[in-house]
Amino acid sequence: MSAELFSLFYQFADVFAFLILSAAGLAIVFGMMGVINMAHGEFIMCGAYVTVGLVRIGLPLAVAQGLAAVTAGLVGVVVEFLIVRRFYKRPLDSLLATWGLSLIVTQSMLLIVGSSITGIGTPEGSFAIGPYTFSTYRLVLFACAVAVLVGLYIVFMKTRFGVLARATMQNAEMARALGARTGRIYAISFGIGAGLAGLCGALYAPTMTLIPTMGATFVVESFVTVVVGGANVLLGTAPAAVFLAMIRMALNASYGQIIGQIGMLFAVILIIRVLPEGLSSVLVRRGR
Amino acid sequence: MALVEVKGVTKSFGGLTAVSDVDLAVSVGEVHCLIGPNGAGKSTLFKLIVGLYPPTKGTIFFDSLDITRERPSARVQRGMSIKMQAPSVFKELPVRQNIQVALQQRFSGAERDAEEERLLTLLNLASESGKLAGALSHGQQQWLEIGMALALQPRLLLLDEPTAGMSPEETFQTGELVKSFNAEGMTVLAVEHDMAFVRQVAQRVTVLHLGKTFARGSLESILEDEKVAEIYLGRTQAHGHGH
Amino acid sequence: MLKLLDGAQTLGKGWTFWSCFLIVLAAALIYPAFADSYDVGNFSYFLIWIFMALGLCLMWGYGGMLSFGQTFFFGISGYGYGVLAINMGGGSTTIAALALAVVMAMIAAGILGYFMIWGGINGIFFGIVTLSATLVLAFFLGQTAGPEWHIGPARLNGFNGMKGMDPLAVGDTYIEGSALYYVMVALIVVVYIGLRMLLNSRIGNVIVAVRENPQRAEMLGYDVRKYQLLTFVIGSALAGLSGALYTSWGQFITPSSIGLPAAAMPIVWVAFSGRSDLTATLVGSFLLLFAFQTITVYSQQMALILMGGLLLATVMLAPQGFVLGIGKLVVDRWTGHRRGDTNAVMADTARLQSDET
Repeated sequence: MSAELFSLFYQFADVFAFLILSAAGLAIVFGMMGVINMAHGEFIMCGAYVTVGLVRIGLPLAVAQGLAAVTAGLVGVVVEFLIVRRFYKRPLDSLLATWGLSLIVTQSMLLIVGSSITGIGTPEGSFAIGPYTFSTYRLVLFACAVAVLVGLYIVFMKTRFGVLARATMQNAEMARALGARTGRIYAISFGIGAGLAGLCGALYAPTMTLIPTMGATFVVESFVTVVVGGANVLLGTAPAAVFLAMIRMALNASYGQIIGQIGMLFAVILIIRVLPEGLSSVLVRRGR
Repeated sequence: MALVEVKGVTKSFGGLTAVSDVDLAVSVGEVHCLIGPNGAGKSTLFKLIVGLYPPTKGTIFFDSLDITRERPSARVQRGMSIKMQAPSVFKELPVRQNIQVALQQRFSGAERDAEEERLLTLLNLASESGKLAGALSHGQQQWLEIGMALALQPRLLLLDEPTAGMSPEETFQTGELVKSFNAEGMTVLAVEHDMAFVRQVAQRVTVLHLGKTFARGSLESILEDEKVAEIYLGRTQAHGHGH
Repeated sequence: MLKLLDGAQTLGKGWTFWSCFLIVLAAALIYPAFADSYDVGNFSYFLIWIFMALGLCLMWGYGGMLSFGQTFFFGISGYGYGVLAINMGGGSTTIAALALAVVMAMIAAGILGYFMIWGGINGIFFGIVTLSATLVLAFFLGQTAGPEWHIGPARLNGFNGMKGMDPLAVGDTYIEGSALYYVMVALIVVVYIGLRMLLNSRIGNVIVAVRENPQRAEMLGYDVRKYQLLTFVIGSALAGLSGALYTSWGQFITPSSIGLPAAAMPIVWVAFSGRSDLTATLVGSFLLLFAFQTITVYSQQMALILMGGLLLATVMLAPQGFVLGIGKLVVDRWTGHRRGDTNAVMADTARLQSDET
């Protein structure tokens, strides 16, 4: 019995981790600046490729993953400086600009490194409970997802940067009038968002085939999580991921991955009909 | 007979109650002014009447029909139209097209063209008709919006601070305009701070205070009410001298 | 009726514009006489995509709804045509298959649009929900390689795509070569003129009003949601028309014409051309398709990089669109107007109109 329960939890944790890790970076950027970064998938790809490259030259996996996330974050800061900061007043244009960037990056990668490179293989290690075998790495991913949530909570709730960032999120004009350097806060947030995307790619790099277009595998999950989460991402993202992971887990188990994804999409479309402002709007109302 | 009737309407936003158990009846053919200090709930009440917010509690009737659950567009189709507090026009469309979008609800063909010219002249916007609405001055945008509201030929015209940002002369003109439409049978409900305007047009006045109906009657009887003077008029008059 | 051809919503009016229009049309009509059949076939291929571009222009430029999911409807109708044409047999029934395929796209748009518009989704979320739907459809079709995925005799065939349907035909004659080309030209003329008339009609007035200020439009008694849904369904029907014609033209369709990067293409065409005007979109999309196709012969990646670069350049340098901006500049030189600000495209539009009245 407990084996079954654990198996259920394992399946839930797997989907939950995927949703949180793919969405966290996108959600931070969206919540902070109202911008959807269409090149989000390419930051994920960047994290994955850097990880594989570093492992190939002999670095331990965990170190390579950390460095990959940092690299993606730094690239993010550069992209923010060169492109995104021009569009804070025009969020739709920032969408188009980052989409253009995404096209350029994926196609250039296809030209330069070709369609796929050999992966590095999932770290071995599994354990059995009752009749079921579980991969340890999947649980590591879940732990990472939880760590990301806790980390974001600490950064945004407990640090000085977090206070300024939340003030900027609420009302950028006011924050600026009160002396917050919103430009720098935006740059750092975009960097954090890109770094989280890179982390996602780094963590999933060992589990999948690396192709320049791999970002597309993650963007649907990240999009729908952010949509369901709603405007207040600090409040909405985690519950949205829990909710979507439940649906996804149930459907995956009975009908397989693709039906799981289609079902999740249908659930999202139904949710926006009932709760156009997303889950966070309900939570905010409750909080009052 | 009441054209629009608000019965026991309450509207809360989270913990804040903007309008609390308000009753209001506007009779056919009258000009009714809604006054009260800032934050009294006047604009919220307007938005409830026109359907931009659903009420937390209470019922709204138009022509004795319960319209509480109707969409704004359906209510407008029944014969009300509104000029909102902040100018709300189609900024990137030319003035003429702004008027056309409104006019085509009631008119077509040559009749529409004639009405278009008449309104543009009436609103002193004929020479600006090719400009983008967003390029007009604040006062002109107010006029344009009033014009769009009039183009629908409403039975009930809701005006939320129609004279904000206007000079005393423009305010007076607006008042005369409202009176002329009222003379043709249009019922008007206006939120207004400018007492000169209220004195010029109002047949009845309702005072809102802290989301509740505070007093009601002719302007004279309201002015004589000491409690009203205390919460509102005293302050406004002092405020008025400052202008 | 003819009055609706020219109006506030569409640029280009009067004698000069329509003479140019007729000259271009005449050139298009005699073109097959001077070109070899391979080029004519290629030309038809560019024209296929014009409908999707015009549909997006209507939704985004006029209706203010940025749909990233035009290839969703393209795909539904493209696969729909394939399934119907295979199941109903060839011959003249292919024409019915085309019509039904477009209807399928419209139904899909009606359902998706209902949930989004009645749910009050707009702006950025509108884009990413439509794109999510598109990507999920592409993933799903990519998974259908197995023999169990079939509708009647029509195999979906996963990434390799569906094939084996007949092209459009009348009786025993396939519509191909110059005949297909003329059908395309005729359809474009009909759609272009039809959209012009729609936009300059009362409905068009409301569509742009809803874009500008939905609350005010509602306060003028228009049920904003219905107008948005109408715009969405018409725009999607045009994407669907492109999809069905595409499948018929090449007698195959794969999931890659739905997913990324295909989904970005209509956005690039319309943004680059100038979303606020139908004619600019028509001209610009054609130019881009031509350039894209020419470069694709050498390297598809290079062509896509160019498209990405153009999108980036458009939003950074000419957010109103290059073709529209250049077109206005030329018109102004021509008519001898002096202009202060080359970027004030919208203000310009109004001024041109005020000159006319």
